[in-house]
Amino acid sequence: MLPPFDLSQPQSLADALQALAGKGDTRPLAGATNLVPDLRGKRETCRDFVSLDGVNELRYIKRDGDRVTLGARTTMADILDDSGIRTDAPALYAAAEIFAGRMVRTAATIGGNVCCGSPSADTVPALLTVDAEVTLSSVSGQRTVALDEFYIDYKKSVLRSDELLTSVSWNVPPQNSANLFYKLARRKGDAITVTGVAVMIAAEDGVCTRARIALGSVAPTVFRASAAEDLLAGKALDEAIIEQAARAAADQCAPIDDIRASADYRLQTAFSLTRRLLTQAWKQVS
Amino acid sequence: MNQTEAFPGSIANVNLRQVGKNKPRNDAPTKVHGKAIYAGDFYMEDMLFAKVLHSDRASANIRNVDISAARALRGVHSVLTAADLTACNAVMTDLPGQTGGGTKDTTQPILAADRVRFHGEPIALIAAESYELAQQALDLIVVDYEDTEGVYDPFDSQKPGAAIVYSDDNIVADYKIRKGDIEKGFDEADYVLQNTFTSQYQEQAFMEPEAAVAWVDEHEILNIRSSTQVVEHFRAVANALGIPHNRVHLQAPYIGGGFGGKEVMTIEVWLALLAMDTKRPVKLIQTRENSFLSHGPRHPFTITHKTGVTKDGKVTAMKIKLTSDAGAYAKLSPYILLYATVGATGPYRVDNLWVDATSAATNNLPACAFRGFGTMQANTACEAQMEEIAKLIGMDSLELRRKNFIQPGDPNTTGQIIRSSVWCDQCATQALAALGEQPSNSEHLVYGHGIACYQQSYGRIRWMKDTSESWVGLEMDGTAIVRCAVTDIGAGQMSALAQITGEILGVPMDEITVYFGDGHVNPLAGTSTASRALYMSGKATELAARAVRDNLLQCMARHFEVSPDELDLADSTVFVLDNPERRMSIKDMVKLCAAEGVHRHNLSIFKAPPSEGLDPETGQGEVFPDFTYGAHAAQVSVDIDTGEVTVIKSVGAHDVGQAINLRAVEGQIEGSALMGQGFALSEELILEKGVLKNGSFSEYLIPTSEDVPEIQSIVLESRSGLGPFGSKGIGEPVFAPVAASIANAVADAIGTRIHDLPLTPEKVLRAINENKASR
Amino acid sequence: MSNEKVVTVTVNGSTVKLATPAHRTLLEALRHEGFVEIKCGCEKGDCGACAVLLDGEPVDSCLTLAWHADGREVTTIKGIGQPGNADPLQKAFIETGAAQCGYCTPGMIIAARSLLKDNPDPSLADVKRGLSGNLCRCTGYTRIFEAVQLAARELRGEGEAA
Repeated sequence: MLPPFDLSQPQSLADALQALAGKGDTRPLAGATNLVPDLRGKRETCRDFVSLDGVNELRYIKRDGDRVTLGARTTMADILDDSGIRTDAPALYAAAEIFAGRMVRTAATIGGNVCCGSPSADTVPALLTVDAEVTLSSVSGQRTVALDEFYIDYKKSVLRSDELLTSVSWNVPPQNSANLFYKLARRKGDAITVTGVAVMIAAEDGVCTRARIALGSVAPTVFRASAAEDLLAGKALDEAIIEQAARAAADQCAPIDDIRASADYRLQTAFSLTRRLLTQAWKQVS
Repeated sequence: MNQTEAFPGSIANVNLRQVGKNKPRNDAPTKVHGKAIYAGDFYMEDMLFAKVLHSDRASANIRNVDISAARALRGVHSVLTAADLTACNAVMTDLPGQTGGGTKDTTQPILAADRVRFHGEPIALIAAESYELAQQALDLIVVDYEDTEGVYDPFDSQKPGAAIVYSDDNIVADYKIRKGDIEKGFDEADYVLQNTFTSQYQEQAFMEPEAAVAWVDEHEILNIRSSTQVVEHFRAVANALGIPHNRVHLQAPYIGGGFGGKEVMTIEVWLALLAMDTKRPVKLIQTRENSFLSHGPRHPFTITHKTGVTKDGKVTAMKIKLTSDAGAYAKLSPYILLYATVGATGPYRVDNLWVDATSAATNNLPACAFRGFGTMQANTACEAQMEEIAKLIGMDSLELRRKNFIQPGDPNTTGQIIRSSVWCDQCATQALAALGEQPSNSEHLVYGHGIACYQQSYGRIRWMKDTSESWVGLEMDGTAIVRCAVTDIGAGQMSALAQITGEILGVPMDEITVYFGDGHVNPLAGTSTASRALYMSGKATELAARAVRDNLLQCMARHFEVSPDELDLADSTVFVLDNPERRMSIKDMVKLCAAEGVHRHNLSIFKAPPSEGLDPETGQGEVFPDFTYGAHAAQVSVDIDTGEVTVIKSVGAHDVGQAINLRAVEGQIEGSALMGQGFALSEELILEKGVLKNGSFSEYLIPTSEDVPEIQSIVLESRSGLGPFGSKGIGEPVFAPVAASIANAVADAIGTRIHDLPLTPEKVLRAINENKASR
Repeated sequence: MSNEKVVTVTVNGSTVKLATPAHRTLLEALRHEGFVEIKCGCEKGDCGACAVLLDGEPVDSCLTLAWHADGREVTTIKGIGQPGNADPLQKAFIETGAAQCGYCTPGMIIAARSLLKDNPDPSLADVKRGLSGNLCRCTGYTRIFEAVQLAARELRGEGEAA
């Protein structure tokens, strides 16, 4: 049973943005797979929602040269059904594959997963490793923000209350690259992530040309381990440098104890999984 | 796989036509078509909807409960608190439907009056025109709590000065066994090993939350249609309400899983009160979150084993201390502790034995019945200890077990002589063989094999003098009817009765109708608990069907001019055994017999063997009718970077006596494999100062489809059981060794033992790191 | 706040009008109309007991607002097949013993139906992944996997379930 709330059902993006404009506490509602449990569990206090269910213009996967853009209403099932995402963003595909259960994947959207701001949102580490950008739209215009700069703090982002995240886009990774994701949880199916790691390694002529490492559930927000990335860029990777980078990534974590795991365990596994994924990725590209 | 030839003593299914075969269950069609109606699916005209206010804290005094605003809300028809229950505010939570008993106080307030003792204790009941109104009313109730110091550890609660939760000393029950000469036993040992093992709360997590509808009918009978394993609760409801037993009609439709969680009364008495108060039908379906608080989960146990063993592997003495956390009320804790006490030595003969067992109250959730019922926790500890002993003395662990298995004719822990077959060795040998080769370790993965054996009772404690009744009849068209109020909790309880009846009367299963679950229309079968439903109701049905058969064959013997034992019934015909051409359809047989006034139906009662209890000083006596034996083996991999455990293969091998429905037996083994895996690896209720922190399916993690290993069932049939056709109870037994085998496999993989369950990735990684550091 | 609205839903081919406020879930609205074959296990998308097909796609009806079903088609287990005209999945569930208590079965068959639509020849791993949002406590899932693969074979014309 949910608490009573208002729901408007615009059929176009323009109407949706209008509905969000000028009102203080109005929030968008897309797949509702997070919102419904949060409303029911009294964690969500908003009582005025704008449904994006009818805003079909936000449900698309577009390609323009190397640029891939997902409309915010694109569901996890859409990502899995698309023939290209597996190569255009392998880590994202991997995250979508193990995203909750089949029914939730039908409903849950990429925009919703990004905007919920949870540190355990599984698509976010993957998107960070492809340097994804998000487009934030409002009646007064739109702006594009690097996903890396989107989150401010636990469940807080730069998104204004009158803005809607309308798309997520990124450039297809370089030819010789590996993009991996690992979700560590207390069971294999449909569980909240304890430690999530995504990496992207591109190489040319035996040298790492681009390194991206993003970690989930080990800090108030999903984040990029930039110090670790810097250690790897421009180098031929070996066991020692990978270990050093993994250590740097773990140093950037600020995990908490909760009922799923201790901070200490999260630190340890952030280190070992980063090391493992970097090793695997380097093996793939060299 | 149905193996009956591999070992001497096993008997193939030579004479059986229906029993033991893979028959689709007769409850399957209605379930797969969405037609099966569960307790929460009933709608009645004029029905009200109920909500229950549960305490949000574990230990507090209640200064006041202000329900004025809730009562004033339009559409709210009843708000009840303890203040309204002036005649009686207590419900019995002893083993239901029995004439015995004999523990301390096993009543529990229906609604908390001046004190709450656990998180979730019910405080107020509401009935309103809709769930939303009931919820609104609930939100308007103001409880003025005064938090009090609680006690949250069963060892703390036994210390002087501890907050008192139960009785005057927090001791809910204690048992002891004194057998042989414990000092002499340890003197004879070459090695002595002591270990302490702990296990956690486990939630039944049946898929259907508690649900019921109650109404007072035109005859002033109180009707309750509830998701319960026990229709005999009508007596406890009547007692609580102060009305005669014959004015309460409790019926159970199909049950969406129970596993013990719907054994003790859950929501029935609340609905009874609301229906009596409002004179309207009232329905309650618990939310999942409230379901976690509405029945008792599995008891956490702390078990210390001190074992003496000779260098050639003979156990000479065991000294075992068992402590369970009963939580805030007794519920079935004394019985569960007794099961753990009897099962403390697993399937092994130990002549010099000392057991001290205590169940202590705390302000934690009151724990109660759950598949395995104490035996499973005790067996898990014992099987870990056996593995550690084998390691200590450098012996193969199965070899060690072989030297100590109890044998038919041996006395068990309480001196009861084992009468049925003990096939632990066969089962363990086959289960281990089925695991196959162990893969070699890779960069991140280490592999391990584990085995565990068990002894688990089936049937209730014998001094409860358990009985079951069933009625079987043949109709004039040759179809058959079984009337037996067994509750069908999903294991095929009802279907098995059709199969048994079909075997005896020669009628195909689909021509047999079973009326079940309604104890005022059908003879009372007793509970679907204690792995007794097939044993007891199956036996009663077998007796009734045989009586019908005997009656009819007497008559037909005159007709065919042969003796009755020269006749048989099969495929809806009666025929002369050595001249099958001489035959008649069952339909014609029934007509002929009916015309001669022969009884074509029968009501039978089956009585379990009784006993008179235990000697309180020595713990010696007869406790259970019989035991099931077997083994489970598991192969796991462990990720040494994360501590994640993957069960790769899980093999259950059990002597089930005789499979009634082989597929249903395998279904029990497979379900157990996963439920035991959950207990071993991921399932744990987390309480902080008694407050449940993970009472939902997103935080309490039962295994999903992605967690399923390759599961293999090996079914052996000694036909030595007390149930129909020599069957034994299996629902709990096949679960008993699973977690132990997985824990043993993990220990094998990582080279060190983790003494507290569940084996979460975090604990496993810590153990790996500590093991590394100590080398 | 939260005025009622009448939404029109086609359930198993029949038109149903639901007068509901915005905060009513499809699960609540349909069960209230008597579609009690849709089971409720957790009300937060963890167990899959309430799964239905919405315009052919599987959703947890407990996470779906009734208003969002306006003008759309809902298929429950009863729309998948009826006795005498059972779906191969239903036959296979009976044949293999994949239903024990039966409470998860309607949602499980809905999820499996959608899995087989997307992937007529699923590997065991595909089946496991496809059903990871449907909890079952009785069976250990093993017979369910068997049933899905048996039905898949029949649907591909490679053999018959029961």
